[in-house]
Amino acid sequence: MTQAEIKLCSLLLQEHFGEIVEKIGVHLIRTGSQPLRVIAHDTGTSLDQVKKALCVLIQHNLVIYQVHKRGVVEYEAQCSRVLRILRYPRYIYTAKTLYNDTGELIVEELLLNGKMTMSAVVKKVADRLTETMEDGKTMDYAEVANTFVRLADTHFVQRCPLVPAAENSDAGPPPPAPTLVINEKDMYLVPKLSLIGKGKRRRSSEEDATGEPKAKRPKHTPDNKEPIPDDGIYWQANLDRFHQHFRDQAIVSAVANRMDQTSSEIVRTMLRVSEITTPSSAPFTQPLSSNEIVRSLPVGYNISKQVLDQYLTLLADDPLEFVGKSGDSGGGMYVINLHKVLGSLATATLESVVQERFGSRCARIFRLVLQKKHLEQKQVEDFAMIPAKEAKDMLYKMLSENFISLQEIPKTPDHAPSRTFYLYTVNILSAARMLLHRCYKSIANLIERRQFETKENKRLLEKSQRVEAIIASMQATGAEEAQLQEIEEMITAPERQQLETLKRNVNKLDASEIQVDETIFLLESYIESTVKR
Amino acid sequence: MAGNKGRGRAAYTFNIEAVGFSRGEKLPDVALKPPPLFPDTDYKPVPVKTGEGEEYMLALKQELRETMKRMPYFIETPEEKQDIERYSKRYMKVYKEEWIPDWRRLPREMMPRKKCKKGPKSKKAKDTTGKGTSFTNTADVLKKIEELEKRSDGEKSDEENEEKEGSKEKSKEGDDDEEDDAAEEEEYDEEEQEEENDYINSYFEDGDDFGADSDDNMDEATY
Repeated sequence: MTQAEIKLCSLLLQEHFGEIVEKIGVHLIRTGSQPLRVIAHDTGTSLDQVKKALCVLIQHNLVIYQVHKRGVVEYEAQCSRVLRILRYPRYIYTAKTLYNDTGELIVEELLLNGKMTMSAVVKKVADRLTETMEDGKTMDYAEVANTFVRLADTHFVQRCPLVPAAENSDAGPPPPAPTLVINEKDMYLVPKLSLIGKGKRRRSSEEDATGEPKAKRPKHTPDNKEPIPDDGIYWQANLDRFHQHFRDQAIVSAVANRMDQTSSEIVRTMLRVSEITTPSSAPFTQPLSSNEIVRSLPVGYNISKQVLDQYLTLLADDPLEFVGKSGDSGGGMYVINLHKVLGSLATATLESVVQERFGSRCARIFRLVLQKKHLEQKQVEDFAMIPAKEAKDMLYKMLSENFISLQEIPKTPDHAPSRTFYLYTVNILSAARMLLHRCYKSIANLIERRQFETKENKRLLEKSQRVEAIIASMQATGAEEAQLQEIEEMITAPERQQLETLKRNVNKLDASEIQVDETIFLLESYIESTVKR
Repeated sequence: MAGNKGRGRAAYTFNIEAVGFSRGEKLPDVALKPPPLFPDTDYKPVPVKTGEGEEYMLALKQELRETMKRMPYFIETPEEKQDIERYSKRYMKVYKEEWIPDWRRLPREMMPRKKCKKGPKSKKAKDTTGKGTSFTNTADVLKKIEELEKRSDGEKSDEENEEKEGSKEKSKEGDDDEEDDAAEEEEYDEEEQEEENDYINSYFEDGDDFGADSDDNMDEATY
């Protein structure tokens, strides 16, 4: 794990789970697999706190455990999974676009809690939806359960590995840790539950989150003491499926940008049909015949077979090679070259970064070297039609930032510099890795800056929160305008200005984090596709 | 050697023209310090994307951050004692729901110490209280021990001694548990002690019959 990744993981864990979990998590990421006592000793935290932290991390699928010989259980952190925390808003928003509010809340609850049983999810989501509905209306459990089943069918949620049923309880001492197993076939199998009920609305007196004395609120007691029918069957969000969806979205929008709406629809149809038949890490989709594509096009599109064939030919002939023709049967068999697409997207990202950082002339040189693969200094100047001095300057700038690399070709065995060719080239994979590393650093910087801004204005933020609380309580008990005015004036105009600026800055920093995460997704997908399995 | 243009004269080992400088030209200055931390950029960054989806995701992100702080998974660091105890602090505490993980899915060592002790204890209870007498009450145990002491030694059977052993162990542990419940510091000490005495820990966790081992020490343990 690079230092930048570790720093980012540390910031994410601290923001979402607190300092103790962060300390344990970062220690595990740094040192790899370790047993419980060693963790406690090395981090200097008490055993009790280490246990609590590990329970939380295991619950959220950030740490896994393994039983080694002599009964020692070792814990290992998953750094890449910690970085996914950045993408939670995108997952939830995608669920919203596909399955409306119900789907959105289901995925949100699963992400917030790591893993949950189906009945627990359904109950919680129904309660939350009931809160937002008008008075008198409640959300039925069956509807929520329906959406849950649809999510499971399309593989957006999956079962967690199960504890094996204890066959013989007296076969010696129980193992120090259960080995969790999951059958491929059972991963999306929804248990038969008859969930009958409606969401409950919390009583309004309990609803205040304004900081009033909570000491008077009665302790939360579990509503039902009945045995849960699907006890032990936990569900989690299937992040890989979401990634597949994002990748498909990226492909479709790339085609739409390059060609037109109709071609992007055709590509979308092809992706949709091959969703089920193609594994997510395949280099290209299963071949689809043009007849099949015509049949599966969405209802609104009345394209004749001939027009479709023309579009497909155009797509297949495109130099970017998104779509390839793999045969002639059935009117032409077409595949989508997934790995090539990811490579093109990564290259486009690199080009865009060079353009925005160094200017359009640098971008021209970069694209030139990409196209021609290897070029000498003199050739670059000639082909790009840029004066020598500037071309040299730009090349060296890009070289120092590692977008371009040098390839030495010696003429003589002693590699004498005066008798060696130096060729400029772009190695996309290594440039992508370098850019990914920079992205991690960027997000870490953004988070730090946001925390700094918030800390600077902490006093002001607390004051404004208190004032809001007072206003809310006064409005609830019915107060006159004049009194409310007076309270509002407790915050002076320059303070309001400061608060506005703070809010704008924090919003901008947050939005930037989300956008950098999109780039991270593209680059990570590309790098993963190049790793030979 | 061939190639030495002249004594003491600087000569490059490579063709300077290949790099782009003409002969005799002034070379750029050598950098004597690291590049600045926040360099000026000629090209300002592109504005952040805005749109309905982006705004929604932004709101989601901020809400998620706030919600996670209130979840039971967010473990607060214990604060150091403040100089002045503020009255308002008592009312600003956020009451969090207690979260209990599913112990079946976690390694056994994850469970808090108290429950672990009950494990072997219940096994011993099964072994030694076969006769149906329950030794849960400490006072009863002490009374029983006194009664047994009054009887002659010869009448003591192995089983009775076993029972007493088990009951005494339980009473000791019962005391320990009560002490643990009473004060957290003592529980902490208990754990610390257990950490040091690894030998004793493994002794219990192995799940071996305590009754079986105690058979060996029958002669001494009669008090």
